[in-house]
Amino acid sequence: MLTEISAIAPQDTRDDVAVQIDGVSKSFSGTVALEPIRLKVRRGEFLTLLGPSGCGKTTLLNLIAGFLEADEGELFIDRDLVTQVPPHQRKIGIVFQNYALFPHMSVAQNVAYGLRTRRVPKAETAERVREVLALVKLEDFADRRPRQLSGGQQQRVALARALVVRPRVLLLDEPFSALDRNLRSAMQVELREIQSRLGLTTVFVTHDQSEALSMSDRIAVMSRGRIRQIGTPSQIYDRPENHFVSTFVGDANLFAATLLEKTDATASLDIGKTRLSLTTFQEELPEPGPVTLFVRPEQCSLTGLDQPGAIAATVALSVYQGSYAELHLDCSVAENGRVMLRVPASEAMEPGTNVGIALPERGPAIYTTTERET
Amino acid sequence: MSKRPFLGWFASPSILIAFGIAASFLAIVQFSLRAHVPGALDPGGFTLDNFTTLWKTVYGKAFVTTVLLCWWTALFTLLIGYPLAYAMVRAKSARLRSAILLISLTPLFLGEIVRTYSWMIVLGNRGFLNATLMQLGVIDRPLDLMFTMTGVVIALVHFTLPIVVVMLAAALSHIDRNLERAATSLGAGRIRCFLTVTLPLSIPGIVAATSTAFAWTFSAFATPQMIGGGKVQTISTLVYQVGFASFNFPLAASLSLVGLLFTIAVLALFNTGIRKLERIGAH
Repeated sequence: MLTEISAIAPQDTRDDVAVQIDGVSKSFSGTVALEPIRLKVRRGEFLTLLGPSGCGKTTLLNLIAGFLEADEGELFIDRDLVTQVPPHQRKIGIVFQNYALFPHMSVAQNVAYGLRTRRVPKAETAERVREVLALVKLEDFADRRPRQLSGGQQQRVALARALVVRPRVLLLDEPFSALDRNLRSAMQVELREIQSRLGLTTVFVTHDQSEALSMSDRIAVMSRGRIRQIGTPSQIYDRPENHFVSTFVGDANLFAATLLEKTDATASLDIGKTRLSLTTFQEELPEPGPVTLFVRPEQCSLTGLDQPGAIAATVALSVYQGSYAELHLDCSVAENGRVMLRVPASEAMEPGTNVGIALPERGPAIYTTTERET
Repeated sequence: MSKRPFLGWFASPSILIAFGIAASFLAIVQFSLRAHVPGALDPGGFTLDNFTTLWKTVYGKAFVTTVLLCWWTALFTLLIGYPLAYAMVRAKSARLRSAILLISLTPLFLGEIVRTYSWMIVLGNRGFLNATLMQLGVIDRPLDLMFTMTGVVIALVHFTLPIVVVMLAAALSHIDRNLERAATSLGAGRIRCFLTVTLPLSIPGIVAATSTAFAWTFSAFATPQMIGGGKVQTISTLVYQVGFASFNFPLAASLSLVGLLFTIAVLALFNTGIRKLERIGAH
């Protein structure tokens, strides 16, 4: 039966694709949670679904896991069509936000659960449980109950329980959100190490953009049930394809501008009374008219008000951050009235100082203003 | 000055009720220690005779019947109530959930007499159940349901079901859905998932519901009285008979007192026996 399914799988299902999502969509009582999604997760890849709450990322994860049934579309895991396969036959591993450890079982029993359902012989089960507990550094906790463990330890048990069955895909549903900050970064490093050592295909759901940037091979940024951009962290951060991605990932300064003319990626535009000529990374620029100019804080610099191309602003607030200071500037041509940039802490300025903002000639992006959304 | 000047007033009704209960309880204790004077409503002098009288077989049998009745009722209520509660908690459609809730709660809204009379109509020799089964040719002779243990258990299950369903539903709704999802993702089918995760985690709820059902049935009176029709004698129907048919108040009082102590003892035994089981699902 499996060969039959592979035979009807689309031609482009190559061996390096671990999960293929073909036009899968989902609505809940008339409300669209997920527009038809197309997505391929490569074998061994750490792919992050990033987006604000309600963007459909968890719905997509639940569809991959099989906890929800897709309204339409098809889903392949390791070239097998699994759209109709119940979750317990999908051979996936999942770590939940609240870990969902079985409270009535010891750590070892929790970890062994997936092996018992697969009728793995006792001796092998014991061996594999020992191995995986060593992997997550919990050898000495095998007989404890979950409630006797700290949050970080519980998470490792949850990870071990998912890993021990050698899943085809590991699904992570915001697993770090319950941990405090220090523990969180330690666990992120540890998880990433384990994941790449095992070469495990991983789909990770989070709303935390810095977590997504630091951990992922690729990120799919989602909003309103759609994937807005998919790419490596640096592609997402440096070359956001639209207004939403530019503001959701990283800090962004947005200026209301008028696009006068464009040739390829070079544009001439007016910001307030200042006329600028810029080269963007974009392949296609919007039509001339009102646009939004997007610039990262680190691309902006301070300059004299009399310099050509300088945009007038007034220091509103200077926030000391240790190695640098964040300058929040009042700027009439910024979309939300504010511009933020970072300067060395020694160059912080008093509120009320009038300054000029210099924009880079290369690197910013221009989006149609109408595309704004949350 | 107290920060909540009305707190005392709020508590006062419960204090009044507590006094009332204590007073009537003391009256029963007092009555149970007095001699019965045939033909008189007032009791005689102090004596322990009432308690020795209770050793007679007829009273012993009532205790055994009561325990059996409670046991069967608790068992069947649990068997019927658990799936109902599970469906109520897990049904996707809100309409289905409220339908189940409504159906399982109606016995509470019907008066005890009305409910029991309805069961008499259903269970009688020419009642709804027997007539239907005979019509269908399943049976040739009517089943003996009225005035039997079976009939009383059927009616008592109906009487006990609401409280068991509500308690089990509360327990089941506290089980994290992700636990079942985790089990499923680890390869457990529905049955295994239920047996290894849902059921063990609902044991505290099952224990609480069962002991409540036990106590609930122990105190039932109208149902065993009317459907049992004197053939199924429980402690409560016997107290009624001794007290209001024979007007032997002292003996009725001692019978209720022993019945109460017996209930407490059975429940205590039940709870210690089951505590080990409960620990499995403690979380």
